[in-house]
Amino acid sequence: MIRIIIAIVALLPFAVGSPFLVNLAMLTAVSAFLGQCWNISGGFGGLTSFGHAAFFGIGAYVVAILQIRFGLSPWLGLPAAFLLGGGVGLAIGFASFRAGLRGSYFALVTLAFAEVFRVLANSLDITGAGLGMQIRRQPGLITFQFVDGRLIYAAALALLALATLCAWHLRRSRFGAQLAAVRESEDAAAALGIGVVRTKSLALGLSGGLTALGGVLYAQTYLYIDPSIAFGSARSVEMLLVAMIGGAGTIWGPLLGALVLHVIADGARVFIDTPGAAPMLYGVLLLVVIWLLPGGIASLKLRRAHA
Amino acid sequence: MTRVYSESKVKHLTRRGALGAGLAALAAPAVLRAETAPIKLGLIHPVTGALAFSGSQCRAGAQAAIADINAAGGIASMGGAKVEAMLGDAQGRPEIAASLVDQMAEGGAHAFVGCFASALGLAATQAAAKYNLPFSIDSGLVDSLTTRGLGNVFRLFPNASSVSADAMTALDTINKKAGSPAKSAVIVHEDSEFGTSSAKLTAAVLPKIGIEVKELIAHATPTRDFTNVALRIKSEKPDLVIISDYQNEYVLLARTLVQQRVDLVGTYSVAGGGFNLKFAKEQPTIAEGMMDFNHWYAPKNPRGIAFRKRIEDAGLTLTWEILFGYFAVQLLADGWSRAGSAGKEPTIAALNSSTFADHWMPYGPTKFTNGQNSGAHAVALQIQGGDMHVVWPDSFADTPAIFPRAKT
Repeated sequence: MIRIIIAIVALLPFAVGSPFLVNLAMLTAVSAFLGQCWNISGGFGGLTSFGHAAFFGIGAYVVAILQIRFGLSPWLGLPAAFLLGGGVGLAIGFASFRAGLRGSYFALVTLAFAEVFRVLANSLDITGAGLGMQIRRQPGLITFQFVDGRLIYAAALALLALATLCAWHLRRSRFGAQLAAVRESEDAAAALGIGVVRTKSLALGLSGGLTALGGVLYAQTYLYIDPSIAFGSARSVEMLLVAMIGGAGTIWGPLLGALVLHVIADGARVFIDTPGAAPMLYGVLLLVVIWLLPGGIASLKLRRAHA
Repeated sequence: MTRVYSESKVKHLTRRGALGAGLAALAAPAVLRAETAPIKLGLIHPVTGALAFSGSQCRAGAQAAIADINAAGGIASMGGAKVEAMLGDAQGRPEIAASLVDQMAEGGAHAFVGCFASALGLAATQAAAKYNLPFSIDSGLVDSLTTRGLGNVFRLFPNASSVSADAMTALDTINKKAGSPAKSAVIVHEDSEFGTSSAKLTAAVLPKIGIEVKELIAHATPTRDFTNVALRIKSEKPDLVIISDYQNEYVLLARTLVQQRVDLVGTYSVAGGGFNLKFAKEQPTIAEGMMDFNHWYAPKNPRGIAFRKRIEDAGLTLTWEILFGYFAVQLLADGWSRAGSAGKEPTIAALNSSTFADHWMPYGPTKFTNGQNSGAHAVALQIQGGDMHVVWPDSFADTPAIFPRAKT
């Protein structure tokens, strides 16, 4: 039933023909996608990351650099971003997990890596330093720039479907079972012959690669990025919030989280124009959701199933 | 949501009063409103978050302009059509700025004013281009806002290239007039687009006017302690410190330079975020003699003087953001008047051929080239006696520069 409702909600913006609604739907889909990417490592693998913006920023900068510095097609940015984001995820994971970092220590390391990338982007000439990078506006399929918001929304939905498919596969695959085993008890998993460092690093690599695709979509939509936009900590927080509120470690959790958070945030923004009131209401409602549903919105379904 | 202020309300405008007036306008029966269809104007600014002060100032200026236009009977050539504001908080996020454009366009917006920061302006103007709706930039210095080939974007005010070039000409003139006491400089800048671009342009030009750049010091925003930066500057012994910072960091750096007794011929900033009347009045000892190259009204123009008094009487501090918000709206109103319509094509055509001169900025009549007013220029300012004065160019200056600055 939930799948049918989500499918209807996802396709509704195409039918109503309102650019504003399409835009809100696109922002929600992107949030859900990024939340799902975080969920792959953070939810299914228990690898709480505070620095997923690092992967998002890598994707955004890769596609911008390929176009601006090398004149290459932005379509090449998709595989390049996936590979580089994945590679960085693998590297951060391997270095951290090999050193035995876990829990809050791992979270802090990821936060530090995101900050390192922000500082690098702020300093290097190839990234435009603090000036950021502006992609030349040339709407068209070849340039992966769409004026029609429905096409951007379709691209966001495609990415969301891809990430959700990965999450679904994790629940059923051997690798997913190994990841769950590691999340529950690393010692027990190691005793069963599971390579703990390898499993966790691969999960972070997969999550990082997918997250970088979100950066590509952002850069191609807004055509301007700077170090704060790409690597800012607010982006990391939004990703983990979407997954946590929806239900970390569940397939539908990030989708529900993004939907609820955007309904609250955008609804407050549309209907309240007193400065500061909308973010404040957003914060209060967030606290209420966390208080009433500590396992996330998806836990409602689980509760019903257990009842 | 829309708010309409009467002239008398704006003259005594306070933040609380503004809210009350807005609510009263909402509650008023429809019969009290204009008979002709109103012109809906989207105002998109960051009024929450890190850029809230500047965004709110831009919004206040735009609202004051709308109040003036309506109090004067609306747009005469359109049968007295009144202007209605549609308010949007971009929260400092480009994606929200773009989303607000869609929301307002769907709500019937005829044009937009915004967005204070360049990153927001780039996203919002691009979104408005989808509808070909006119967009009057009220702030955002980056040149590319008007060089991307978007025919719907207009900027009455100077761009980054113009400000940087004029700033160095002004410094060179003031320095040479004083016998060239400034021969070296350290540049301190915040590390985002605004500070970095300004610092790079300045560093490239300073040697050409006989000032050696000893060091460029970048810092993050926010930075809460400038002691180490001040000590580094002190060790370099420059004549000048050139600052490109936002509000809080600008003031904090200025205070730390005084606390650490850094001996300077002067401080000079290009669009210095904290250089304003509030700083001049609240910290007169620290601010005295500091110079900035920035946007300001023509100080000898009686209408400019009256406008400043009106804003101050309303409990606000006049900053260039208020002026920008005000005249970004007035530019559009001039376009509607000339076009006799708020339709997008006639308005854009009227703006392209605009010779808008009914302002008290130090510019002549407008002349738009690809959406950029080529006659716009900023001025050199100095804080003297707890007030801001224009010290360059001579044609607009209300007092000569004190350079080197007096020792504190």
